[in-house]
Amino acid sequence: METTQQVNDKNIYYPPGGILLWIIIFLELITFGIALIAMVISSKENPTIFHESRLLLNTAFGTINTVFLITSGFFMALSVNYLKQKNTNKALLFLTLTMLGGLLFLVLKGVEYLGKIEAGLTIGYNTFFTYYWMLTLFHVIHVIVGLVILVSVYVGLKKKKSTTTIEDVEASAAFWHMCDLIWLLLFPIIYLLF
Amino acid sequence: MAYVRFNLAIVISNNLFTFLIMKNRTIIVWVILVLLTIAVGVISSLSLSNAAIVIIVLSVIKFIGVSFYFMELKKAHVFWKASVLIYLLLFSTIVLITI
Repeated sequence: METTQQVNDKNIYYPPGGILLWIIIFLELITFGIALIAMVISSKENPTIFHESRLLLNTAFGTINTVFLITSGFFMALSVNYLKQKNTNKALLFLTLTMLGGLLFLVLKGVEYLGKIEAGLTIGYNTFFTYYWMLTLFHVIHVIVGLVILVSVYVGLKKKKSTTTIEDVEASAAFWHMCDLIWLLLFPIIYLLF
Repeated sequence: MAYVRFNLAIVISNNLFTFLIMKNRTIIVWVILVLLTIAVGVISSLSLSNAAIVIIVLSVIKFIGVSFYFMELKKAHVFWKASVLIYLLLFSTIVLITI
């Protein structure tokens, strides 16, 4: 098992999680990357508006949410490692913790969104908040999709005659980590840079 | 038969050893990532002249930590590692030049 895994990982066609998922990951990273660069270019036209609007965001919320996602990704990595050791019980435990991290992220994001809506800082408020809502909402959709995938993996692994393979779990884990990666680009630029 | 058992024991202990190293390394990477996140938050609150560069560089390090260690890209073909690093280099350079 270990030998096969090592040989497969070194093959260009078999990155961890599968080549199709890595194509998706790169497409997503490029899409978010272009949008963030467009946001930075827009900030040059109205630097004052971007700076004042950035100060209206809660940096502590963004930092805590980053810790939630990083910790969730850490649990996901442990879950995959335990599954490779055929320790399904521990893999399921860490998968549950992974989903808990994702849920906490969504709850805190919901609280943040609610505060912004109550303060009237909606998508049409100014250019900064148009980017803020578009980018963070698009990311939240990815997190929700990732959680649905993780729930289906959990249900699959929980079955007595499970047909869920390690490749399935690795692909799901890669998608979940992609949500981490996108947030690691969004957080510094939207919350800290301007 | 004894030879097969001996080989099996070596394979199992090797797997266990690899797993323990991997687990410890994952924990260390997680601690570093959390510390970097807190550091980025603190740096942004200070009025440093080069804060943008520091924030982007630390964020790039975090990105590499997640992709290479949590996603196990470290074990992947060099093409995938190079692709991620080129993407990060392009993205961070464009952002820092534009800002």
